[in-house]
Amino acid sequence: MLRAALKGMAARKARLALTSIAVVLGAAFIAAALVLTASIQSTVADLNGDSYTGADVIVQPVEPETSAERHVRDGVAASTLAAIEADEDVAAVSTTVTWMVNAIGDDGKIVGGLSPTLAINWGDESVERELREGRGPEADGEVAVSAQFAADAGLGLGDDVTAYSLSSDKTAYEIVGVYGYAGGRDSLSGATELAFTTPDAQRLVFDGQDVYTAVAVTAAEGVDADTLLAAIGDDLGPESQAMTWDDYIAEANAENAKATSIVGYFLLGFGLIAVFVSVFLIANTFTIVIAGRLKEIAMMRAIGASRGQIIRSVLTEAVLLGTGASIVGTGLGIAAGAGLTSLVADNLLDTATTNVTVPLSAPLAALAVGIGVTVLSALVPAMRASRIPPVEAMREAVKSDKPIVALTVTGALVTLAGAAAIALGLNGVFDGDRTNLVATAAGAGVVFIGVSLLTAWLSKPVVSLLGTVWAWSFAGRLGRLNASRNPRRTAVTAAALMIGVTLVTATATLLTSVKESLNAQFESTVKAELFITGPLTSTVPATFDPALMDEVRAVDGVGTAVELYRDITLIDGTEQSVYASTDLFGAVDQFGGEVVEGSMDDVGDGEIAVNQWSADQLGVGVGDTVAATFSRGEEAHEFTLAAILADNEESDGWYVTTAYTDEFYTPKPTLALVDVADGADVEAVTGDLETLLAGEPEVSVQNHEDYLAQLTVFFDYAIIAIQLLLALAMIVAVIGVINTLVLSVLERTRELGMLRAIGMTRGQSTRMVTVESVTIALFGALLGIGTGLGLGWVLQLALADSGIGEFAVPTALIAAYLGAAVLVGLLAAIAPAVRASKVNILGAISYE
Amino acid sequence: MPLATPPAPHLTRTRAAVTATGLWRAYGSGEAQVVALRDVSVEFASGAFTAIMGPSGSGKSTLMHCLAGLDTTDRGTVNIGDATITGLGDKALTRLRRDKIGFIFQQFNLLPTLTAEENIQLPASIAGAKADPEWLRRVIDTLDLRDRLTHKPTELSGGQQQRVACARALATRPEVVFADEPTGNLDTRSSGEVLRFLRKSVDDFGQTIVMVTHDPSAAAYADRVVFLADGQIVHDLREPTADTVIDTMRGFENRVPLAGEAR
Repeated sequence: MLRAALKGMAARKARLALTSIAVVLGAAFIAAALVLTASIQSTVADLNGDSYTGADVIVQPVEPETSAERHVRDGVAASTLAAIEADEDVAAVSTTVTWMVNAIGDDGKIVGGLSPTLAINWGDESVERELREGRGPEADGEVAVSAQFAADAGLGLGDDVTAYSLSSDKTAYEIVGVYGYAGGRDSLSGATELAFTTPDAQRLVFDGQDVYTAVAVTAAEGVDADTLLAAIGDDLGPESQAMTWDDYIAEANAENAKATSIVGYFLLGFGLIAVFVSVFLIANTFTIVIAGRLKEIAMMRAIGASRGQIIRSVLTEAVLLGTGASIVGTGLGIAAGAGLTSLVADNLLDTATTNVTVPLSAPLAALAVGIGVTVLSALVPAMRASRIPPVEAMREAVKSDKPIVALTVTGALVTLAGAAAIALGLNGVFDGDRTNLVATAAGAGVVFIGVSLLTAWLSKPVVSLLGTVWAWSFAGRLGRLNASRNPRRTAVTAAALMIGVTLVTATATLLTSVKESLNAQFESTVKAELFITGPLTSTVPATFDPALMDEVRAVDGVGTAVELYRDITLIDGTEQSVYASTDLFGAVDQFGGEVVEGSMDDVGDGEIAVNQWSADQLGVGVGDTVAATFSRGEEAHEFTLAAILADNEESDGWYVTTAYTDEFYTPKPTLALVDVADGADVEAVTGDLETLLAGEPEVSVQNHEDYLAQLTVFFDYAIIAIQLLLALAMIVAVIGVINTLVLSVLERTRELGMLRAIGMTRGQSTRMVTVESVTIALFGALLGIGTGLGLGWVLQLALADSGIGEFAVPTALIAAYLGAAVLVGLLAAIAPAVRASKVNILGAISYE
Repeated sequence: MPLATPPAPHLTRTRAAVTATGLWRAYGSGEAQVVALRDVSVEFASGAFTAIMGPSGSGKSTLMHCLAGLDTTDRGTVNIGDATITGLGDKALTRLRRDKIGFIFQQFNLLPTLTAEENIQLPASIAGAKADPEWLRRVIDTLDLRDRLTHKPTELSGGQQQRVACARALATRPEVVFADEPTGNLDTRSSGEVLRFLRKSVDDFGQTIVMVTHDPSAAAYADRVVFLADGQIVHDLREPTADTVIDTMRGFENRVPLAGEAR
């Protein structure tokens, strides 16, 4: 039987090769994901291993319990440092002071965008630095910069650079040195760096407090790390904690592993989708191959082969195909993983060396999934093959389509069940919002499966409808008829495309709806026409001088203008968003907020206002007292609740006077709302404001559209990312359509020969096959778009209470999907159409 | 046995529908070369029903394929009506087949996706035209297909399918209809129906038909039988009957002992 399987496969090399591409892709994605993840982790581990080389114990401030922004207050105290230095078990100590700062480049703009600019104290040993020019800073007012910073800022030795942090004023420093890193690198992970004297660094990072980000301790001769750790324990103040260097590195590696595994999961997801879609492709190919061998199998049954032998022979083929394809896929995947690692290392990590690691799990998982999926997909066709009665060998081949009734009934029942779950979930029949949401989402998934089962039944009407497009051409009409000739085959072929299109359409619809809902919400509540603010992506919040507000208000045509400060504050022990403004009523009003209790008019120092939901969360009402500790604040302030606002996405939060902004993480305003007076020209006001803000490098004047685009940019990225998914599904779909068409052309050789004999031109036969191909692809895409829109709509309805009130159709994307489907059809038609037009007429019609 | 009978009175028209002159056709090369046609010259009169007979491998199918522009010739020329088709490109040949030639195949070769009527219209549809409705009505009525027009081929018997194929071949009023073993797949009754129709279309419509067959009783419907053996025309029989055909075949079966299957 093995010999027969091998020979059979050799005879169908081309089709098997096409089919195996899907398995190859799936296995490759899985292997690449695992290799990339492991390689990046080991590369980063190497990189981490270089930090604080030679140190035995690292002392750091106690982890802030809350968000990272609050870290500004925290550092290893000078008293702790002094105690450690005095310890007799200690040989040497080095300190680190670092955080993000703003630096202004040669062009007057802030240096860097997505990658941060860091201030550091010269003498820090967390990484190895190599001076290239000049010297390190020796006096306050001097700075050495990384080569990357010098390049990005367009500044060099002897130039002055202006740097400042959120809490410090703009100060000019003289560049006295330029340095790089071990391995001749200009930067680490793309970040730019400025190295100051320790006091300068502390001024920028810690508001001038004598505290440190980290202290690296080297043990004295004969003292091991654990002994040192124990000894240092007594020296530490309550603000600090210590760990051995080994633990520190392990912790850093674990952090990185967490971050890199996200990339890995993403690739794994792609792999699994490729594998899922290829199930259809493989099952279809085996069905097709078996259909082509009907007589042969019947003959084998007639001469005594058992049903088990037939199943085994088909499965043997599947195992061989799966193994071959998985091995190729694994190899490609490992190579791709290695290639991606060096790409990531070069562009994101800036490491000099990469450490490509191939975990055993990579080939194992890729092979297991590749072979498993192939065999599972071949199971149903194999069973079907075994049921071919021996008498088929004698019968004249009359291939009647298997009825699709059972399939259709099952599909209809599944779809109805899913729809019922959706209906119940949307109408809130179940207890609890969560249960209802889960019921709706699960129902949507079930409907998706149901519709997939219904594809065969749907193919006839939809394909006829599509056929009207080609009605003008006779060859096109024949192609359309051919497409609906075998609904089962057409359906399975189209399903591969449908799945991908459904997923992306549903996601794109939901994301677009979320975006539109945000837009609608924003447009209907926010009164101000213009915003003065910086890019949301900047690592240090963009701020401007509050003194400018008077000038802003004086601009002709400006009605109301209010500035806003923002902080993440601990209020009664929980993190809350707090805003401050000199015009609190104006701020709330511009955001469309309304006072429901108390009054916003004269909220004074020691008073606070908040929206209803937040007040309920803390269980406070007007007249109650709350305790608030601001980011840079040393201790809590007492506030009396003066007013409660109606809930409203835009204005939700706590409001205090500007008396406390010095204790905010960002002590300067980050946003100003400008309401243009009725009748004033918005364009003109924008121009005047821009002139006014010429000296503020961080902020710009934005209208609603600009501002919303910033808020919703994430959704745009997410939508782009899911298009990659579609591209993958498309590749698999092309292969599937080619497979089906090649088979159809083979099956219809005689027919094609006859058509050519009675006068059909090559062009006509090419058109006929192309129309069949495009019709199948469009059918898949239309079904996917329909299902995707439906699912997206259901999800939007289910989430309507969570703020997604608008249903928006991503029209441009849907048009693009249809275009892509046509492209898939055209591409897939090339080979089969050429084959059809080259049919040997004599061979096709002679009968022997 | 006479080598040739005098031409039948209604065949005296001089115009030839198909003419082959000095046809040579060989397949393969060197040792394995098989010469299928050696210097074959033959004329098929317009409005006549001619059968081509011969044992397997005699070249009868090759001759028909060359005459119909389906196969190329090595030497010699083929004319359909006034046009020389030898040396024409694929496009011109395709157009010629579409407009001037009708085909009837042993396997019927109907498109299963189309109804009987659509199958009959097929050559016209391919040309982007519609067949003459009056003519079509006559053909359909003669073939007794009127109440089968909306049926798909799978809903028709073999004889009915071949009648549809006949109607398709005649629908465009071609210069000549080539029939390749048209009764090879049919029972005796259906064969008779198809052959009677072919005969009728020659007598009533003046259609030219060239039919390849190995069935003497089918050949007996023709006006003339051309016998091929080993790539050459060995006999030309006018006004054949089943008996004279069998006699003739027996005659050169003895002469050409290598001939294989000859029923």
